Amino acid sequence: MRSNRVGWLLLAPTIAILGIFGIVPFLYVLYVAFHQWNPFGANPYMIYNGANNFRRLVFDNEFLTSIAFTLKFAFFAVLSEVVLGYFLAQLFMKEFPGRGLFRTIHTLPLIVAPIVVGSVWRLMTTPSIGIIPYLLKSWFGYDLNIGRDATMAFALTVIMDIWHWTPLVTLTLLAALVSLPKEPFEQAQIDGANRWQIFWHVTLPMIRPAILATVFIRLMDALRTVDEVWMLTGGGPGAATRYLGLHIWKIVFPKTDYGYGSATSVIVLYLTLVMCWLLYVALVARRGQKRAS
Amino acid sequence: MKHELGMSLAALAVGLMTSVMPAKADFWSDAGAKYKGVTLHGVTESTPPSNYIKDVLAPAFEKATGIKVEIETTSWDQMYDKAIKDMEAKTGIYDMVYIEQDIIYAYLARDFLVDITKSLKDDPSLKAPDYDETRFTTFANYFKNADGDLFGIPMEAFIKVYLYRTDLFNDPAIKEAFKKETGKDLAPAKTHEEYTQIAEFFTKWGKDHNLELWGTTAQAHTGHPASWYEFFESIAPTFGVYNWGIDASKNYSASVANGGTMNSDKAKAALKYWLHLRDIAPPESPASTWTEVGTTFAAGRAAQGLVYGENAAWIAADAEKSKVVGNVGVALPPLEPGVMEDTEAGKGYIGYYDGGAFGLPVTSKNKEASLLFLQYIGQDSVQGDWAVAAPRITNTATYDDPKVIEMDKKLNGYYTMLKNDGKLFAGAPPYPFHAQVREATAPIFYKILLGEVSPDDGLDQMAAAAEAELTNLGYRK
Repeated sequence: MRSNRVGWLLLAPTIAILGIFGIVPFLYVLYVAFHQWNPFGANPYMIYNGANNFRRLVFDNEFLTSIAFTLKFAFFAVLSEVVLGYFLAQLFMKEFPGRGLFRTIHTLPLIVAPIVVGSVWRLMTTPSIGIIPYLLKSWFGYDLNIGRDATMAFALTVIMDIWHWTPLVTLTLLAALVSLPKEPFEQAQIDGANRWQIFWHVTLPMIRPAILATVFIRLMDALRTVDEVWMLTGGGPGAATRYLGLHIWKIVFPKTDYGYGSATSVIVLYLTLVMCWLLYVALVARRGQKRAS
Repeated sequence: MKHELGMSLAALAVGLMTSVMPAKADFWSDAGAKYKGVTLHGVTESTPPSNYIKDVLAPAFEKATGIKVEIETTSWDQMYDKAIKDMEAKTGIYDMVYIEQDIIYAYLARDFLVDITKSLKDDPSLKAPDYDETRFTTFANYFKNADGDLFGIPMEAFIKVYLYRTDLFNDPAIKEAFKKETGKDLAPAKTHEEYTQIAEFFTKWGKDHNLELWGTTAQAHTGHPASWYEFFESIAPTFGVYNWGIDASKNYSASVANGGTMNSDKAKAALKYWLHLRDIAPPESPASTWTEVGTTFAAGRAAQGLVYGENAAWIAADAEKSKVVGNVGVALPPLEPGVMEDTEAGKGYIGYYDGGAFGLPVTSKNKEASLLFLQYIGQDSVQGDWAVAAPRITNTATYDDPKVIEMDKKLNGYYTMLKNDGKLFAGAPPYPFHAQVREATAPIFYKILLGEVSPDDGLDQMAAAAEAELTNLGYRK
């Protein structure tokens, strides 16, 4: 009984912080989502409107387009980061001259604020000024204009995200690889397994929890990305890079449609949870069931 | 005898001056004494006029009064975010907020701001001897309510002008080539047809001579409201489409069918004209906001363009930032027939009168001290140097300041134009729903820019979207 009380006492600050900064704001967003509330409307006060905001979302083309673009962005960015991150982690497992320096340089993007990343990439990609359009034009005769080319603008947001966040994946997977015991690998080599078989049957299953955690973190980040993309493209051209985070930002801040913005946020949170759950079922739960049977 | 009398009079004059001057100079220290130790917080957009407040006026005020002033200069979006959130949530973080001319109506509708006129009348001890509302230019009228009370101290005011390169327009070889090609003399355009002709000529000239030169600028970002503003505030009015094509007197109608002009033939012609200019503008135009348009012109990449006045001074005079110093001419924007007549009759305007003021939120915890600071930046005595550091004029007396007159020569008459022709330009329409209508229609506008929707269909859709949003907001019944 006493130890229980001490436990709760120790947990209290965390619970209080979580409640104040997590649960209460979430409940408030949920409450606002069921209201029509635009402080610059003819009636600037909250008016209860039931599930109307959610009903509006279903028919909102901009929202649906934004979901599609965001999922595409998250898929390409996270997949590339995990694959690239794994290869870089494997590279850092090996000894080579300048490894420490390379690892430090490789980690530097992580300490740059997203808004700065967006600004730098914007400078690098602005037609006539940026180094990237200049080089592409000089070497390949290709005119890069992210103000007009939706596909290139999308691709650049993915590349920028990969540049910024791959180091995080590398570090996480490197930590996982370093902590792996040597015996299973030695055993597999003795049994005559080739490199692919070792990767598929030994390494991958053993670092699966680390991969899963990394994918969850990166997926959630990718689904709510705002600052970098806002700086690089402003969500354009058109709506080509108006990802969900930016879409919500535009509804809530410039448009001050707090009720609809809150409803959109709630739905996006729900979608994120569903996606993470599906991913969990696909990668962990089903495998666990197979093993049990 | 005469000499003695003269000496006596001089001594009397000196005595009077020395007895009066300290009393006037002491107003700030006396008034500030009560608020010593107070720190005022202001938020504004990072622009040359705001930076001058932060770097020069705030320290000077602190020295005079003992009241510390911290000015946060940030991006346009962040500035609004922070100010609105603070006033909406009544947190009282900011004692002063920047009010751009187009948002004053929304702030007044929400009672966000303190009535400065009334506050100074209610407490005359706060009234600075050198501060007088009547000394502001007519731009201050945008920050007044129906009773004529002021809710913001004007701190910047510019017109969006037509800049052109005098070195190119006066080059004999270019003039001859232009005459040969068009049969006309090369001179700043007065009509859209002339402007287009000049733009096409220079873009071709740049291409033929392998120069990084195009015929016009275009603020045509495909994902930023800057393009929307360029069209509705600078291009459409020159075709006779005013107030964004929304008619408040006709139940806030935007579509022609309901009495608006957003999708009128004039609006469609204006959009096609502008899209053509965008196509012959430098390649960075689809990614250009107001900032990039300024840098494009300053880099010598455009022969002419519509540029915000806040950028005109550094483009024309700052050799560290601009390649076209000494080669910048200023003119009124090209117009369709009838627009000048509309303007002179008070029915229209020829371009955008941009600017802002510093207001005092009702949620401020230091209203009296803030009123002192607002008066301090509104005095005639601080305006001259401020106008030279940043090309803004808010007080009528500033036009006669020798430093400003000197600067006007470098700017090829920009200040003279502001003084004489400022009345032809207008700020944003008095609607409290600017950002809301803009955000409701901008996605369609970006589609037009990308060619995903035709200009005609796009404007029809925008008019419908504007009316739907206005209905949703409760303005349109």
